This record gives sequence, structure tokens and C-alpha cells, in this order.
Amino acid sequence: MKIVGRHDEAPGVKTLRLEFQNPDDHEEFKNTFRTGMFGLYGVYGEGESTFCVASPETRKEYIECTFRQSGRVTSALANADIGDLITFRGPYGNRFPTENFQGKNLLFVSGGIALPPTRSVIWSCLDQREKFGTVTIVYGARTVADLVYKHELEEWQNRDDVDLVLTVDPGGESPDWTHKIGFVPTVLEDAAPSPENCIAVICGPPIMIKFTLISLKKLGFDETNVYTTLENRMKCGVGKCGRCNVGSVYVCKEGPVFTAAEVSCMPAADL
Amino acid sequence: MTKILFSDKLDNCVTRWQAAGFTVIGPVTKETLSSYAAVEHASDFDLGIVLPDRSLKELFFPQTEPMLRYTIKQQAINTEDFTPPSGKRLIFGGRPCDAAGLSIDDPLFGWDYKDEYWFQRRNESVIVTIACTKADDFCLCTSLKLAPDSTNGSDILLRPLENNSGWEVEELTDRGREAFLAIAELLLEASEPTAPMAVVPEMFDLDTCVAWLQNPENFESKFWKDISMRCIGCGSCTYLCPTCHCFDIQDEGDTYSGIRRKNWDSCSFAIFTMHTSGHNPRSTQSARWRQRIMHKFNYFPGKFNVNSCSGCGRCSRQCPVDMGITETLQKISTLHS
Repeated sequence: MKIVGRHDEAPGVKTLRLEFQNPDDHEEFKNTFRTGMFGLYGVYGEGESTFCVASPETRKEYIECTFRQSGRVTSALANADIGDLITFRGPYGNRFPTENFQGKNLLFVSGGIALPPTRSVIWSCLDQREKFGTVTIVYGARTVADLVYKHELEEWQNRDDVDLVLTVDPGGESPDWTHKIGFVPTVLEDAAPSPENCIAVICGPPIMIKFTLISLKKLGFDETNVYTTLENRMKCGVGKCGRCNVGSVYVCKEGPVFTAAEVSCMPAADL
Repeated sequence: MTKILFSDKLDNCVTRWQAAGFTVIGPVTKETLSSYAAVEHASDFDLGIVLPDRSLKELFFPQTEPMLRYTIKQQAINTEDFTPPSGKRLIFGGRPCDAAGLSIDDPLFGWDYKDEYWFQRRNESVIVTIACTKADDFCLCTSLKLAPDSTNGSDILLRPLENNSGWEVEELTDRGREAFLAIAELLLEASEPTAPMAVVPEMFDLDTCVAWLQNPENFESKFWKDISMRCIGCGSCTYLCPTCHCFDIQDEGDTYSGIRRKNWDSCSFAIFTMHTSGHNPRSTQSARWRQRIMHKFNYFPGKFNVNSCSGCGRCSRQCPVDMGITETLQKISTLHS
């Protein structure tokens, strides 16, 4: 795939926009991709890395991926230029059942570099805004600089039909920070969204997911209305290489999207 | 009257199989290491050992194997899928546990995406298994509901004769029958007493162990820490295991050309599951050993209806700190579920 766009989101975090070179591959992607699915992005000579598809199912002309530069593959991807070719395998895995979200209020809770998978669902819903009830987004990062998609956060902030709650961890604020200071689960509890007719989509580091699930329970959310995505280390993406499973569940095939009810059946110590 | 293959005809058989286009493979000992390897003559076989150090797995799922070659020239990427070297193979003197190991992994490599590398080799290989008349203290096939003369995964089963002069031939599959057509004249119809099978005592009651493993309360039992305290995470057990199938994918090469490879990996290694953030779902050696046991006797059978263990005992036999599946399941069978 060809890199057609490149954007710095936060220190060490980049977004690439990719276009298909082969029309058949693009057609297949259009027919199969739904929000929540992931892919393996690669640079020959360096290897492949697994990220979600960060662009929504309502915009299939391209693929966007957002990643933190940390190893061999992500460094090569970060150093790639517009016009360079990289590889994509996918889309793999299951999806967020957005058609079941219609007519419901939506709550998105996300932390740090985990906004990309959530963002795919957010735009998939905002692009057909009339089909959904209220939209609330709670997003936090360690520091102000670490917030990703800053331009989109601003856009959501300015929309009347989106309620955005931003927070940074204590100590992560800048002098001109006017939003919340505190950890995501606490800020979520303070915002107290109603569980009435509401679907929650949460994604974040494992520790955030753990405490956010507790907070949502406190707020009265039913486990079957809470969705999350487990982003385990993966290599093959097709249920063979053996590393992404949690208990008997192969995250790459049966996931990465699970309801909180499904997650509660998994061995918590292996999450 | 049954078909008998006498040992003195074996070299002739090897020649005929080779003439029929088979690469003949069997247990071979080189210096101190035994494995299944290609032979020229029957005298190269080491048929006296209980079982080779290395399992049959590597002949179907090599330790390292190229998947594709890439070349990049002026912004154009060319890739060429690697095709495994094809050719008929006859594996003579496989052990029943090793043959069973292959059939255990078939559903894994076949579900959803079909691993062509595995199945091409499976389809091109005839497995002639020799039933075991001797075992060592580590053999545990009977504990896994298999036996020294199990036929799972074999195309032909040979039962040693009592006087050690040859084998009684049991043809199990068409592929086996076809391969034995090439040596039909060398087989004799006779009635010879076969040697008694090796006695492999049952080490634990598998059903009791599985019930304990399936009880979610035992997932965080202190038992896991106790049993795996001395595990050094070397991965020998997974590499030697005839059914362990975890792998990694790595690129070798530079910006212009190279190879993407599939390499054996191991759930014993900390980095196997470690996230980029540093978070590790299986962060301790005890969590990794628990995963291995759970995978073999709880998760894998839950998905594919067969235990991911054929009872060869290599994990215990070769473990540098004397751990292994036997000890773990023996102890589990004494715990109250």
C-alpha cells in the first residue's frame, strides 16, 4: 500500500494514511472491513506489526493507522515517507456491531494511544449521526502532549451533538489546560453518563480497562452493553502462532472485540 | 497368516522405496543426538532406541522456514511465495507417539486459514510406525489414553516379532498400502508370534486432571507457583514437543532483498506475549507454565476435541531442571478439584 498521508499526533506517535495499489485488494477490503478489525502492517526487511484499522467503516477509500514508534517495525514505518510502499495483511478479526448500536446513546471511553480503535467506531457512528442518540466521549492521556488526534478532539469539542470530556493524569497538565485532571475511570464516574439505553465502547491500556469496567458497573451499565477491544501481541493473525490467546479465546479470531460479559469469563490474571 | 517384513530385507526395501521416488527417513543417531533424518541404507537406522531425542514435528514444521522472498527495486516491491521442497517421503520407524503428534496438530493448521506448508508435507509423507516393545521411565502414552501400539497418525504399523527377526505389517491407509506395493515381493505371508508391547504404567488419571484444570477457581491456585518455581524458561520442552506449534515471523535481509521466515517460538519465553507498552499478560514463569498445561489439556481439546499431548515424555526427559508434564499432572491428580 502507498503512504499518501503522514501526521504527527503526539511525541513518538504517528498516523499514516494508506491507499491500495491493487484494485482487487481494495475491493476485497471494502467488502470485508468493519470497524474494530485489525491488520498487520509491514516493511520488508523489518517485519510486521499489528494495529487496528483506525479509520472508520464509513470511509473505505483509504486505511489509516496510528502507532507509537518503539521497535524495529514501528521505527521503519515512522521513517517511511509519503509515496513509500508498505504492506498490509487483513482486515482480520471480528468487529463492533454498529448496526445494533442504532437508536442507542453511545459512550466512548478511551485512554492514551488506545483512541485509534475507538476513533474508528466514533467516526463510523458520527458519519451517520442521525441513527444514534447522544454521543459522549471520555478521553484521557498521561500528559497534554500525549493526547492523539488533537485536531479531531477540537472538532468534537465544537460539535453540539457530541459531548467530549478530556482529562490528563495529575501532573500531566499544562498551564493553559482547561479540562479535567484525573484518571479516566474517576473522571468517568464524575461525568456519570446514564446507562439508560446506552452502549459503552472502551479501549485503553489493560489497567485502564480493568478500572473502567468497575466504574461502569458502579454507574449501572449492564455487562452486555459494554464493548472493549483486546489488543494482544500477534504475529500470524489467523489463529495459529499461539500468543494472543486469553484462556481458550484466540483474540485474533474470536476477537479483538468482546463485550464486558465475555471478558469477565476470561481468566483475569492472563489479561 | 499376516504379512511379515523380515529385517534382513529392510535394506532391499529402502532401495526399492528410493527407486519408487521416496526419500527414506528414519531414526538416526549422530554423535549424541538422535533425530529423524534421511538415510541411504537401512544400516543408517538406529531402531534400538526408545525414541529419538527430537520429534517428527520438524519434518513437517521446520524449526525455521522461509515464507516468501522480497525484492525492492525503484519503488516496486516484488514478492515470491516460498514453496516447500516437494517430493514423496517415507518415514520408517516413527514412534506411535510421534505419529499421533502429527494428527493432533492437523486441525490447528487446518482451521480457517489452511497452512499449505504443513499439509503439502503431510500429503507427501508415508508414516511407517514401529510399535514400542521397550519404554523408559518418562514414557506416558498410556496416561494420555494412547498406547505403545497406537495407530493414530500412522499409515502402516509394524509390530516387532518375538524373535526380533522382523515385523508384522498392519496396513492402515491407502497411502501406506501404495507405498508397500513397491516392496510387495519382499514381504512374506507367515504366522509369527509378535513381541509383547512395552509396559507403560499409567502415571495419573487424565480425567481427574482435566476436571481440575477446567475448574476456574484453580486458575489462580498457589499450585502453579509451587510447581514452576524451578522453571528457567529455556523452552526445551516446547521445541522437543511433537505437538507444540507456536511460531514467530521475522524478516531477514535489507531494504532491497530478503526473506520472511517462520521460526519456532515458545510460550516459555517472557517476550512471547509482551506488549509494546511493557505490559505482559503472562508476566511470570508460573503463568507461562500454566498456559502450556492449560493449552494442552483444557483449551486445545476444547477447540479441537483432542489433547495436545501424545505422551512421548520428551518434556520431562530432556528438561534441565527435571520438570515436565508428567510431574505436573501427577501432582494435579492428587489435588482435590
